[in-house]
Amino acid sequence: MSPSLGLRVRDWGLEILQTAFRLLPWPTEPGLRSIGTPDESSPVLLTCNYALTVRRLVATLEGCDAWLVVAPTAGINVWCAAAGGHMSTHQIVSALKTSGVAERVRHRDVILPQLAATGVLALEVFRRCRWRVRFGPVSASDLPAYLASGEKTDAMRRIRFSLRDRLEMAASWAAPTALVVGGGALFIRPEWALPLMGLVVAMAVLVFNVYDRLGPRRKTTFALGASVAALAVTWLAGGAAAALATAAIAACFVSALLTYDYTGSTPIEGGSHFEERRWTIAFDLERCDGIFRCWEVCPEACFEKLESERKVALAHDDRCIRCGACIVQCPQDALFFEDEAGARIEPDVIRKYKLNLLGRRSIDAH
Amino acid sequence: MSSLALMRWLEGRPERYDAGMRVLTCGRIARLHAAVAEAAVRSAGDHVLEIGCGTGTVTTLLHARGAHVTAIDQAPEMLEQARLRLPDDESIVWIEQTAAEIDRLPPSRFDAVVLCLCLSDMSPNERAFVLREAVLRLAPGGRVVAADEVRPNGWRGWLQRLWRIPQAALGWLLVGSLSRPIRDLAGELQAVGLRVSGAGTWLLGTLELVVGEREP
Ligand code: SF4
Ligand code: SF4
Repeated sequence: MSPSLGLRVRDWGLEILQTAFRLLPWPTEPGLRSIGTPDESSPVLLTCNYALTVRRLVATLEGCDAWLVVAPTAGINVWCAAAGGHMSTHQIVSALKTSGVAERVRHRDVILPQLAATGVLALEVFRRCRWRVRFGPVSASDLPAYLASGEKTDAMRRIRFSLRDRLEMAASWAAPTALVVGGGALFIRPEWALPLMGLVVAMAVLVFNVYDRLGPRRKTTFALGASVAALAVTWLAGGAAAALATAAIAACFVSALLTYDYTGSTPIEGGSHFEERRWTIAFDLERCDGIFRCWEVCPEACFEKLESERKVALAHDDRCIRCGACIVQCPQDALFFEDEAGARIEPDVIRKYKLNLLGRRSIDAH
Repeated sequence: MSSLALMRWLEGRPERYDAGMRVLTCGRIARLHAAVAEAAVRSAGDHVLEIGCGTGTVTTLLHARGAHVTAIDQAPEMLEQARLRLPDDESIVWIEQTAAEIDRLPPSRFDAVVLCLCLSDMSPNERAFVLREAVLRLAPGGRVVAADEVRPNGWRGWLQRLWRIPQAALGWLLVGSLSRPIRDLAGELQAVGLRVSGAGTWLLGTLELVVGEREP
């Protein structure tokens, strides 16, 4: 086997393994990497040290010249790390200062993935280490176009939940769950292990592909649909009463687990905490001074620029997934959440909450 | 041991942190802390910079030995807990910042820089940077006192790897984070120009204390 083929086979193996178990951290060595032949004016990109992200990013950037700072984010992907305290202002400041990138370039502009905006306070990074943070496109695949034009198009700002994303999410949910369910079944009724694993996989693929299109009573619809389908298949396969009951119970259980988890792990419904799901985004037009940070970081394109007035309009608040990025970044405290009763949750509280989940982050550092 | 998976979990819960650490290290942690304080403070009035002070356990010992302590940590909750344990006077300065921001502190100022169980949380780049900058903060004749989880040689190293597997799994599941034991703590201190003068180990050689002196 030629080394390059061997390497490719290894990369593919890792790609599959890390996609199937992407809920686990897959750390790669943090530090500075060069892509192509960068010089002192080449762009500086910064990302997490999640192996899958870094490998895909490097592949996407083939043909570009850039510096890549891989920050130590505990081997977790950008969005989870940013929401979970592993990709915070602290890690960014630390990575920029210690990676040696400052000695390689003359400028002090760093491009972060847009989805890091929930956890990284751009103004604070500048205050602490004099690097200006720009939030690049949501998806790494848009980076070459973004670097070439320097412009972030509307499509680059919006989070996409493509078929590939959906299948990857399904795989990452199904693989560990199927292993647990199948492994458990081996101890009780070994012959049920494979069918149960099949059920888990089928339901995961379904949930990540149709659930958001099911309408308002989707939880019940999905649980019912899954149970009926599981019963039908078991009956057709000649299953007895015990098998039928197990199929129905398993379908309901997996459905409950999946639809609960779905909310926290997809960009369709935001907020992994129950209470947070009832918050709505609100806006104080008076305070807004049109810096458009919110517009730049909102992954659902909820904002529209009113260039003439130097203000934004919260034009699509119905799309909000409560990621909090706009509130965290707004220098004017013009954005905030409101709870169910209409009470205002102040930007500072949101920042503390969004930036402080693991007790590692705080905006008022000094 | 800083790399313990459970420690990651405890980190988010400062109020349980100290008790948890005692259990996890079979009580050895207290001896390590005492040794660190003893190595750091040679006489009352010494200026000590403590990086990653956590809940202030070592800070308390340094203070008790009469040191003026500048204690930094990036976790506000940890600092809050630490503040409660110590008197609110001029002999202790608390700063919330990352270890990498050590370069904001005045040069040639401290008799000792203490890094207790925090180097293994850092990436190799961060460690090299922090140690280099730590040396610059030392007054002539000052010392870096570093204590951390290390990887011992031979069978002890393998025993440690085995012992870490369940912890690693737990750490991934709980908070998705894990630090790594340092391969050559003394070597890293030597690499920044320090003369290694003292060392001690605990828990089958998995916890190590190294003192590196700056030439007078
Ligand atoms: S970030 Fe704040 S001030 Fe700036 S445009 Fe948005 S709402 Fe207005
Ligand atoms: S409007 Fe909603 S979705 Fe958009 S950035 Fe703000 S919180 Fe996130």
